[in-house]
Amino acid sequence: MSVTVSVRGLRVSYGRRTALDELDLDLGPGVHGLLGPNGAGKTTLMRVLATVRRPDRGQVRLLGQPLSDAAGLRSARRQLGYLPQSFGFYPRFTVREFVEYFAWLKEMPAAQIPLAVDRAIERVGLLDRADDRMKHLSGGMLRRAGIAQAIVNDPRLLLLDEPTAGLDPEQRVEFRALLRELGLDAVVLVSTHLVEDVVAACTRVSLMDAGRLVFDGLPAELIAAGGAGDSGDSPIERGYAAVLRDARAAAR
Amino acid sequence: MTAFHLDARTLAAYVDGDLDDVDAWSVETHLDRCAACRGNLTLDDPTRRLVEAAAVAVAAPLPPPGRVRPATRWRRIRVLVGAGPAARGAWLVAVALTGLAALGLAVRPEMLPPWLLLLAAPMLPAVGTALSYGSWSDPLHEMVASTPQGGLQIILWRTLAVLAVTAPVTLLAGAMTGVGTPMVWPLAGLALTALTLALGSLIEPGQAAAVVAGAWAVIVLAPIGEWAVLMQAGPVWLTVTAAAVLVVWTRRDQVGRRTA
Repeated sequence: MSVTVSVRGLRVSYGRRTALDELDLDLGPGVHGLLGPNGAGKTTLMRVLATVRRPDRGQVRLLGQPLSDAAGLRSARRQLGYLPQSFGFYPRFTVREFVEYFAWLKEMPAAQIPLAVDRAIERVGLLDRADDRMKHLSGGMLRRAGIAQAIVNDPRLLLLDEPTAGLDPEQRVEFRALLRELGLDAVVLVSTHLVEDVVAACTRVSLMDAGRLVFDGLPAELIAAGGAGDSGDSPIERGYAAVLRDARAAAR
Repeated sequence: MTAFHLDARTLAAYVDGDLDDVDAWSVETHLDRCAACRGNLTLDDPTRRLVEAAAVAVAAPLPPPGRVRPATRWRRIRVLVGAGPAARGAWLVAVALTGLAALGLAVRPEMLPPWLLLLAAPMLPAVGTALSYGSWSDPLHEMVASTPQGGLQIILWRTLAVLAVTAPVTLLAGAMTGVGTPMVWPLAGLALTALTLALGSLIEPGQAAAVVAGAWAVIVLAPIGEWAVLMQAGPVWLTVTAAAVLVVWTRRDQVGRRTA
């Protein structure tokens, strides 16, 4: 596995609360699911990898570049796609202008921009609404527009924080197909509450609890961790519950 | 119509995929022109559905191209300068009010004391700049901050838009109050904006604007009284601007990116 994201001894705190604690993580191409209960530190990890939040301690290398060096940081940011958990919009923007804005912000070559913008909008199924203002879109459409801005530069590292929130079941199935396609040559990290998304679309899965990584492996391995006695409606939910329980017991 | 037709065995072999490539191509060439032979094709159900789906897909109109703009240098400037958070609405009202107050002063000089405009007008661009950037006023901040243009570059683009709006108002305020030289007023606005950006490499731009505004209020309201001196000192303001720009340049990776 060629490693394109490497995190060593990462620590981030907000005031006196520690959000990430001595976290180590390696990611290569493919779709990685990031699971964990609320407050486990998933969003903080996403923000560090998106270069929005600076780590208090530890080393982060994205696409071979250490984030401590300005040129490396800039080059990593050009190849990055990021969809935050919640985001707003400028009401006067159309979908196409919104995606175009981020194409310019990501310093894409001008000649590629018009086609890349329409391709990204087409991939999330919004091409028929491309000239509608953002304020006229539904919640699910807004999220798809957010995904379009994240993938407009064909990122080599794509970070999606709760991308399926607000999508209806049919859109979620389409989105999983898009994820699989994107994961062929990019590192895709998807944080989610929905364990079934992980089974359907992810090649690897990591589980976080209380700022630490408590599981990293194949979805099948997470499923295998669960026993008949664990709580949950599906094999992977039982595996999730079992891993969390063991991690908390070990931490005591 | 042509006299030549394909026999049933050839058609069946074509449908089953038993013909070699060259023969299949000549059959297809004939089928393209001959409705009678097309009618003699017997397709099984899955194949017929496939053909129908392909026909629908081919016949379906492409979505209209919509408003695709060529990616010119001018378009880039327009997009980067023109896009800004909605918090600017409140600030635009403040700019308009300042402009109106300046005009009102021309009609009735006793309406409001000149120091009030001196307090407000030169701070307008600094406040506008701070309002246009940061997680508390920009709904897209989180996504913007992850892009290579997300720090100082986008702040400077937005500052450009802010200065374009405020410079005439500041100049007008200077001319109407009669305090100092009117041309120095926009210069003071520029210097206070540059100071805000320089301070914005240490603290959040919003806090930086508050600190600069506080310092400016102390200077204006201090009982020294000689406002005219303040607004005649063009070279002083230029020096302050140059010093602040130097700080911004050396700390360019920190401006607006204190946490990244």
